[in-house]
Amino acid sequence: MSADISKGAGQLSAKLPVIVRPVDQARIDRYAAASHDFNPIHVDPEFSKTGPFGRPIGHGLMTLAFVSQMLNEWSDGAFDACGEIDITFIAPVFAGDVVEVTGEIEGKVERDGEDCLRVKLLVSAGGRQILAGYAIQPVGA
Amino acid sequence: MNYRRYDEVVVGDVFPADPLRFEVTQAVVDSFLEATGNERRGKDAPSMLASVYLVDLLSARQSPPGGIHAKQSIRFFRSLKVGETISIQARVVEKYIRKERPYVVSDFEAKGEDGTSVSSGRITSIWGKDQ
Repeated sequence: MSADISKGAGQLSAKLPVIVRPVDQARIDRYAAASHDFNPIHVDPEFSKTGPFGRPIGHGLMTLAFVSQMLNEWSDGAFDACGEIDITFIAPVFAGDVVEVTGEIEGKVERDGEDCLRVKLLVSAGGRQILAGYAIQPVGA
Repeated sequence: MNYRRYDEVVVGDVFPADPLRFEVTQAVVDSFLEATGNERRGKDAPSMLASVYLVDLLSARQSPPGGIHAKQSIRFFRSLKVGETISIQARVVEKYIRKERPYVVSDFEAKGEDGTSVSSGRITSIWGKDQ
């Protein structure tokens, strides 16, 4: 998509920022405490050995928090007021991973009569794609 | 805690029976921002504080430990203010088995004290192993 599509009608840049978040078990544990999500697949190495991943995984919603930070940085905070996300988690984040979050504009869409940009979310860690999905952000919000 | 079995979950189930009340305190916000490496500070709370109230909401389902968050959609309708109290409730809209994994799909809505929508969306979870 050319830059003028996003810059013409609103204030959104055609280029989305990249944010990088190292994840270790301490961060996962802090997130568990902050979110009250002490599911043992995140915080209990012994329990996690019996699960599908064999070791603790980061919270999917923690990764979404990183995504929302990127979208807020891009939209100067407008994502918090009127943004939208639709994603599928496709790979886990493990302690020791470095999560990289960005996106690319796929095109314009209309939502409730309002022009919006649809953003393909690009989230990876250790060469693995972590999630698949998109965000919707009104232009000029 | 008494956990529900997967076969006890029924499409149409509403949880919790009365909407869950969640207070957006400065302490909750600060803890969330610190844990997610977010240095932004302001009078508004980050929208993805939803990930905290959704966990409280999902706890009301009484699902067993070991469940996995598979999909998430969420739309925000307005900024969340520090100091406000919101109410959240969800409804099971679908159940299915795929690759021998039991899925539960729930729609939720969070409202402010004035009844306005704060957020709404859909959570798809893989149910934890029945206890």
